[in-house]
Amino acid sequence: MVLDEIAAVWINYNLTERTIEHLWIFSIALIAAIIVGVLIGLLIYRRRRYAPPVFSSLNAIETFPDIALLVLLIPLVGIGTVPTIIACVLYSILPIARNTYTGLISVSPELLEVGRAMGLSERFILLKVRFPLAFPMIAGGIRIAIVFTMGIVTLGGIFGAGGLGAPLQTGINLIRPDIIFVAGIWVGILAVILDGIAGGIEASLKRRFGSW
Amino acid sequence: MTKRFGETVAVDRISLDIIGGELLILIGGSGSGKTTTLRMINRLIEPDEGTIAINGIDIRTIDGIVLRKNIGYVIQQIGLFPHMTIRENIGLLPTIEGWSREEIDSRVTELLTLVHLPPDQFMDRYPKELSGGQQQRVGLARALVMNPPLLLMDEPFGALDPLLRRQLQDEFIGIKEDIGKTIVFVTHDINEAFRLGDRIAIMHEGGIVQLGTPRDLILNPADKMVSDLVGSDRLFEHIASLTVSDMMVPASSIISGEMPVQSAIEVMVQSGSTVAVVRDRAASFFVAQLPTLLQRRDEVKTVLEATDPPFFLSMDASLLSALEEMKAASASFGLVMEDGEPAGLLLPDDLISRLV
Repeated sequence: MVLDEIAAVWINYNLTERTIEHLWIFSIALIAAIIVGVLIGLLIYRRRRYAPPVFSSLNAIETFPDIALLVLLIPLVGIGTVPTIIACVLYSILPIARNTYTGLISVSPELLEVGRAMGLSERFILLKVRFPLAFPMIAGGIRIAIVFTMGIVTLGGIFGAGGLGAPLQTGINLIRPDIIFVAGIWVGILAVILDGIAGGIEASLKRRFGSW
Repeated sequence: MTKRFGETVAVDRISLDIIGGELLILIGGSGSGKTTTLRMINRLIEPDEGTIAINGIDIRTIDGIVLRKNIGYVIQQIGLFPHMTIRENIGLLPTIEGWSREEIDSRVTELLTLVHLPPDQFMDRYPKELSGGQQQRVGLARALVMNPPLLLMDEPFGALDPLLRRQLQDEFIGIKEDIGKTIVFVTHDINEAFRLGDRIAIMHEGGIVQLGTPRDLILNPADKMVSDLVGSDRLFEHIASLTVSDMMVPASSIISGEMPVQSAIEVMVQSGSTVAVVRDRAASFFVAQLPTLLQRRDEVKTVLEATDPPFFLSMDASLLSALEEMKAASASFGLVMEDGEPAGLLLPDDLISRLV
């Protein structure tokens, strides 16, 4: 039976533990990426003239193949979880920072005019008007980052990061299509679920904070 | 004051006195500088030259944030914060000022009632759940929340359909009476200006062409542009803002009651008038009409015998109510009195030809 074979692979290769490990690395990487991404978005919002060079640099990172980036990181931080997380963050900064920046600057001018005319401070407008209204945009950026991160965490398994990349690597080494198949499909399902959750959050933020 | 944007002079050396408690309209086409003028009052834009003072205090010496908190601001696009409920939108400044929740709720309730929105139905809704007219009412409520003495309004009803615009204007006239604030109101709609304004400043290419009450502008337009804009040659459109004194024919000469009919006829034909004021010995006033005199010239000797008792009107009565009274009394003309002396005559035939 197919189900028995799946169950055997799942148990033999500790896929439950691997999944927890995978999601753990994923969460750390994503949270780090959100913090760094939003901060960079905010900084270039404050210093608009840095926007073009920062985005060009981030775009350059984006075009770099992920596997090559992981290899390049080996002499710097070795192998394992750390380079994987660094790679995830590097790839995820662009969508998050770009969407944060876009969200902050694209608040409609009449809201800003009214806010200023009411006597609100720039700081208040940033925190209570611009940021909330940018939430849907930022969520959209995070959603893109989730897909990137999921892929890179899996790839990181090859470089000893653990997670669901590890059984995939085992399957490749042992030429065992069943392991590759089970672990591969499972990673795919996880990615779809996470993307679905993120999509739901994004939609509800849009309902709550969306102005268009 | 003057404001330039690059090479363009948006507002060119204008000088304007706004009287406390009045509603002053700034009207003009796009690029006339009306909105720029408005925004300089709350320092959203700083003038390049000149000063603006409120109650004698130069506004540049007041902190911008403090100044703006004391000036209500309403714009056409309304600008309600979409992520806040109506309660949060109106209560935003009180929240920052540290009012208690109860104080805020009662102020919001009061203001929503003022703008004719049932508070319990609207408090907790989001702006996008409201129609344009409802949103603009909330916009006005929000501008009034700190009870500012001065209100700036930039085409607040401009985006509404004509029917709703008219309804909100009517409501606004009522609210304006209730709140008793100084209001500077920008519009490009001359009808709105006439409906709402105590005084109207007509702006063109950054300058004020004429400033005056609606009647001043209609009856004494400064130039062709003003007369075209206000429709001075279509006075019937403004009949509601006219008074008896605007439309009366001045009483040129007063005929003594003892004058022979024939001489009276000659005097009237010479002066080209068909109606004359007649004074008797007791200093009572009567009116003689040329057709009646001609008809009865052989029956009577003195003018007095052929006169009719006049229908008296006062100078500052509104033209419409005067006409209504005349109609009710079946009077075909009115004698306009000022300080017990005849000032002029209101003649419907002449009136119609001047109105149209």
